[in-house]
Amino acid sequence: MVRKITLIVHYIISALLAFILGAPLVLLLFNWVINRKEPSFLPDSGLLFLIGSSLLLSTTVAVIATIVGTSCGFLFYKIKSNGFPTYHNILVIPLLISPYIFAVAWRDALYLLFGQYASIYSIWGVIIVHVIIFFPIVMLITGSALSSIHSTLEEAGVVITSFKKTVLRIILPLIKHSITLSFLLVLIFSLTDFSVPAFFGVRTFTTEIFTQFAAFYNYQQAIEQSIILLLVSCSLILLQFRYLAKSPVFAIGQKGSSSKCHELTKGKKWIHSSIAFLIIVTIIFPVFILIYQSLSGSHSYFIEALVSLKGAIGKSFFLAFCGALLITAVAMFTSYAELRSDIRLPGAMLLFLFVTPSTVLGIAYIYFYNTSATAFVYASPIVIILGYAARFSFIAHKIIGNGLKQIPLSMEESGELVGINTYKRYTKLLIPLLTPSLVTTFLLSFILCLNELGTTIMVYPPGTELMPLKVYTISANAPVALTSTMTLVNLIVILLAILIFYYFGKRIKTRFHYD
Amino acid sequence: MTKVLVENIAYSKEGRDILKNLYATFPSGGVTSILGPTGCGKTTLLRLIAGLEVPHSGQILIDGKLVTQSNKILIPPNKRNLGFVFQDLALWPHFTVYKNIAFGLEERKDKMTRDKVMQMLEEFGITDQAKKFPHELSGGQKQLVAIARSLILNPSILILDEPVSNLDTQLEIKIIEHLKKIQAEKKFTMLWVMHNHKLAIDHCDFVMVINNGKVEEQGTKENVLKTNNQFINQFIHY
Amino acid sequence: MLRRGFLALIAFVFFSCGKGTKNEVVVYCTVDQVFSEPILKDFQSKTGITVRPVFDTEETKSTGVMNRLLAEQNNPQCDVFWSGDPVRNIVLKSRGITDAYNAKATRQIPAYFKDSDDHWTGFSARARVLIYNKKLIKKDSLPKGLNDLTLKHFKGRFAIANPLFGTTTFQIAALFTEWGDDKAKQWMSLLKRNAVIIASSNGDVKKRTMTGEILFGLTDTDDAFEAMKESADVDFIFLDQQPESTGTLVMPNALSIIKKSPNQENGKKLMEYLLSKETEAKLAKSCAQMPLIKGTEVPEGIPSLDRIIPMKVNYDETAKVLQEIQPWLKQWLEK
Repeated sequence: MVRKITLIVHYIISALLAFILGAPLVLLLFNWVINRKEPSFLPDSGLLFLIGSSLLLSTTVAVIATIVGTSCGFLFYKIKSNGFPTYHNILVIPLLISPYIFAVAWRDALYLLFGQYASIYSIWGVIIVHVIIFFPIVMLITGSALSSIHSTLEEAGVVITSFKKTVLRIILPLIKHSITLSFLLVLIFSLTDFSVPAFFGVRTFTTEIFTQFAAFYNYQQAIEQSIILLLVSCSLILLQFRYLAKSPVFAIGQKGSSSKCHELTKGKKWIHSSIAFLIIVTIIFPVFILIYQSLSGSHSYFIEALVSLKGAIGKSFFLAFCGALLITAVAMFTSYAELRSDIRLPGAMLLFLFVTPSTVLGIAYIYFYNTSATAFVYASPIVIILGYAARFSFIAHKIIGNGLKQIPLSMEESGELVGINTYKRYTKLLIPLLTPSLVTTFLLSFILCLNELGTTIMVYPPGTELMPLKVYTISANAPVALTSTMTLVNLIVILLAILIFYYFGKRIKTRFHYD
Repeated sequence: MTKVLVENIAYSKEGRDILKNLYATFPSGGVTSILGPTGCGKTTLLRLIAGLEVPHSGQILIDGKLVTQSNKILIPPNKRNLGFVFQDLALWPHFTVYKNIAFGLEERKDKMTRDKVMQMLEEFGITDQAKKFPHELSGGQKQLVAIARSLILNPSILILDEPVSNLDTQLEIKIIEHLKKIQAEKKFTMLWVMHNHKLAIDHCDFVMVINNGKVEEQGTKENVLKTNNQFINQFIHY
Repeated sequence: MLRRGFLALIAFVFFSCGKGTKNEVVVYCTVDQVFSEPILKDFQSKTGITVRPVFDTEETKSTGVMNRLLAEQNNPQCDVFWSGDPVRNIVLKSRGITDAYNAKATRQIPAYFKDSDDHWTGFSARARVLIYNKKLIKKDSLPKGLNDLTLKHFKGRFAIANPLFGTTTFQIAALFTEWGDDKAKQWMSLLKRNAVIIASSNGDVKKRTMTGEILFGLTDTDDAFEAMKESADVDFIFLDQQPESTGTLVMPNALSIIKKSPNQENGKKLMEYLLSKETEAKLAKSCAQMPLIKGTEVPEGIPSLDRIIPMKVNYDETAKVLQEIQPWLKQWLEK
């Protein structure tokens, strides 16, 4: 039972969160309603067709990414073989490179190989690049779900039927929520991405919204179309919520709760070659192109790129660090309030913010925070951090929520019975128990914040230098060699940071790992 | 006649030797209680027999047929004709009670699946739970479903790892007696590990005591209880 | 102790990132950072006024700063808006975001490149050019004017950037103004029939020409010069340079002061600095922009207004036409 005082505190914090992160969007929608001239809200047939075709494109991306990602998740989290941990880490790299860079690298790779790249300027170009960028998300989500399946559930299947059938009938159905969640995440990421379809000249619903903003400066129309996009995305995720609510929750194992791993015995060559192909296609190609272009300049741009990014690296790290901390804290609270106090508003708000196009979010934050009373937010990097939190807390909310579900309420109740106060129950019981989820959330949020561009470019305080902004703004008209070198430096710096965090994260995880 | 023969098995995990050149025989059609202190390797032995773990050396024979040889599973678990009740029961949370029990038969495309499952449910007195999911059942009901699931394929060996833990004593006895009755009817070989030594020994024919990865003593209940082995006398408190 | 230290660090970074000294100027800039940043840094070192820039790129249609300026209208943060062409300044003027300012330095700029109400002032101009791949096509075989782009033997071998954005849309709006709706629309239809490739940006046109995917394409002088620096295979020409031709479109950079901005005085100082021969000379050197002030030193090989036939454009009127034709252009694009 939740005590009344705890409930009140939860309501107060929820309201505060809703005000800080959600109110800007509500205000923007309110303005939109007031300024509307046309009473109807129904999109015309052309727009409906565009929504349909965009959904079809994103669904194709999501289906392929889910198949590839789940297969990789299964291989790397359930099968033991030499090189698999390394492959896994390499295949996460696409998450660290911006989609736009991938699109350019792939086009140039095709040119280098075949002397032409007209074929990539099509829906297929968008599909290929989106799949490459987004499948690691599926791999990570399904992989972590697979590793949380109690080994006996699988063994009970193996005693009865073949391994193949156990996988198809027991293991995959057990992680179906993770599969559907990652499918929907990819669908939404693909649906709301502007850069890749715009680069390949493919008209999607998101590029249409962008055109309203960039060519017509028509806020009303752009917001109206964003609302349609928002409704489509929200209804997709709500469907999953409904479906999730019905599904049973995992039992907590009493002994040896770790997942079962298998030795790779059959088809070793075939599997290793397939992974090698995937690595070549997703990483080696684009990185090779970046290196090739970087070296093709009239002189070495390495020092120039480093000098250019020097001021931005420290600040980017610090802001991404703060952003990741805030996101982890927000998600920890929202998932806790949802699970223990049944307060669902903050979770719903995070979902709403997550599916909002980044430009709309930026505009909402400018409207709300650019006042004399809130100048301390708008004129400082706080607004960037709030932007990060608005964009990515939903993903963190889902990860921590899943972690929290694995911790029985009795753990906290027993703490309460022996007289431990609420603060200590959080710090001494809950946080240590949740550490693996918290570390994962922090790392993922850090990477996402470090690469965030859409909202940052709308709200960053004048004079602030950040890595993605710098690469993005300097890439226009700078020699290709410089742009490629900057992207490579950016990538190396991010990888180094991740290695450091990974090292500490692993130490923390080991310390707080409980079976 | 020997049903299961475990020869010279060694098994270690994370650098710790769990079983050290262990020899064991399990007579056909009998009930064997495996006893020993926590961490002595009881569960590992059961898992090795089921084919869920691979030993580093030694071999296992079932009905005289080699099923496991050092570092190699020769016959996969599902072809060993055995049932396994896990300590945590391992009921599949996404299947109903009916489906949990029927799954093995369906996989074998058994045309009598429905009749067999309904009969099993009736035998265990849980017919009215058929459409429920595991999380909707009480502890005792879950236990019955897990046992019913392991018996539905008519196994020649039934392995039970702490099958009645977390239940009250009366229910424990009821379930074990029920199991014993079925075993007597169907004459399958049964191996179990139970924390309640009295219950385990009362209802078994043979006893095996493991300590520190090795068999201290094994044989008929009566023989083992008469032993002079100091460890066994101290451990069993019978 | 650790916790306190961490909080102090956060506070320090926030305050150091936040509002700096009072002696500052905030500039929103859509001119490529690689060219504009050195000039702003020079201004800072010369005057001691801290420049706090927000950069954006034409490559992605300057959405960031334009929408930011529109959203900040009630509480402006920007002092000076430096745009790569006057269209955006004209849009801002129409929405009441810019203020009139008649800088002393503007006297040197021809009236033709200024707003009649002083809401924007042009300097250093770019021109629209035809960039081509020397390996694939000889200079003699190139189109002489925009009309030649509809010739059948060029079918599917040339590109323009997305006509809804940037300098391409401005060029098309100028043609609509010059030729009238009917002729311009017919020309656009013929372009489509001649399988014109729509690139994502002028930079993309440049890249496709460099790689040899297309014979030629329309782009801006700065892109063409960058391409020549990177590859010996490309060159450019001005179109419609024959006597009695319409001439090529010239687009100046444009500066505006933002209404009720926080550092108006420093903003004006920056404007005076940017509207100088010194800045124009720097831009001529770094990105081949053509100075508008007579007598500005121009490096060899850089085009100058004296040596080309410019299109006679009324920028205000063209900006109006641009807004009118955009829905039609969008339909043309989607056909």
